[in-house]
Amino acid sequence: MKVDPMEIADLKAELERLHSASFGWALSCCRRDATEAEEVLQTVYLKILEGKAHFRGESSLKTWLFAVIRKTAATEYRRRLLRSFRLTGNTDEVDDRVSPFESQTETFERSEAQSHFQGALKELPRRQREALHLVFYEDLSLREAADVMGVSIGSARQHYERGKKKLRESLTRLEMGYGNNWGRQETPSAV
Amino acid sequence: MEIIGDDKKLRALYSEAKVADQSATPSFTSVWHRTQARSLKPRRAFNLSFALVTALLVLTLGSLAAWSIYSNRSRPSQQASTNDSAPTNPAPAEKKAVETPKDKEDVRTAGALPATGDDRTARRSVKPRVRRSVPQADQQLLASDKTAKETTIGTWQSPTVGLLSSPTDDLFKSIPQLNANTNQMKSSLPGSSNDKEK
Repeated sequence: MKVDPMEIADLKAELERLHSASFGWALSCCRRDATEAEEVLQTVYLKILEGKAHFRGESSLKTWLFAVIRKTAATEYRRRLLRSFRLTGNTDEVDDRVSPFESQTETFERSEAQSHFQGALKELPRRQREALHLVFYEDLSLREAADVMGVSIGSARQHYERGKKKLRESLTRLEMGYGNNWGRQETPSAV
Repeated sequence: MEIIGDDKKLRALYSEAKVADQSATPSFTSVWHRTQARSLKPRRAFNLSFALVTALLVLTLGSLAAWSIYSNRSRPSQQASTNDSAPTNPAPAEKKAVETPKDKEDVRTAGALPATGDDRTARRSVKPRVRRSVPQADQQLLASDKTAKETTIGTWQSPTVGLLSSPTDDLFKSIPQLNANTNQMKSSLPGSSNDKEK
């Protein structure tokens, strides 16, 4: 099914406007793997071009696009996982790959608070991480986040609250741990 | 208030991450062009696994259909060959069936058994289908069996029927006439007849 060129032109303008946010969301869905995120974004645009993903106006374009990105990322991850199983017989390749994005943002990751924050985010369950990202990063309401995640608003609220609590605890623990280490390093002869 | 403060802190961390991500975001134009190139790229029309599965499915269905057709055709021809060969070279089982049509099971098996040794291979392939589909010839055979069965049931007698007969059967079967004279009534009694005999 092909989409009308006029419709494509309108969609293209909207996609361009949302591109940065879409990439951020794709990055979050792909465990901050920039290459994979870009691939997912390409696949999403291809789906839209070919009419496989069709916006019916039931929700806002942003939530619809984010839902498509989320589903595509999940599908791509599964496919990659299967491929790695078939080729190597284990999943290490998928998770242990070094992302070029990580090297690009190495200086940023070196920032103390950010490195703690990214570490704490990695500890969170996927749903909680998604809910927090959609609310804090993308400035979506809980209802919109629920639409993107494909869950009820009550469920989204629970993920959001639990995620926030867990993230706060992790950050406190990491900061405290860092403080202790730092204190010991400062006075090595105090032992 | 502490929660609000925490929220602010989280929001600040997220916005910091957002700024870093934006600097690393690939341009929309490049992603779009690559997408268009991907869409224009001719796709592999021939999916090997799909073709294999389809071929396997078609082969299975075809062989199944051929087997069912073959078995349906071979049944009447086999039956006909059995009937034709029966008068010239009757098999022992069939001969028995002809002689004693009372034995229904024999008749049925005789119909299914081939007369010649050449048909043995065909019989083996057809054997499992015997109970599923009964050809017309078999049905006729079964109908004649049924008629024979009905007649035998009509003339059937219990083995203990002899015990029910006794010498005084006449007494029970005949009704004495109340308006008859005494002599006539006495004559109907078994004792008087015995006396007379004596």
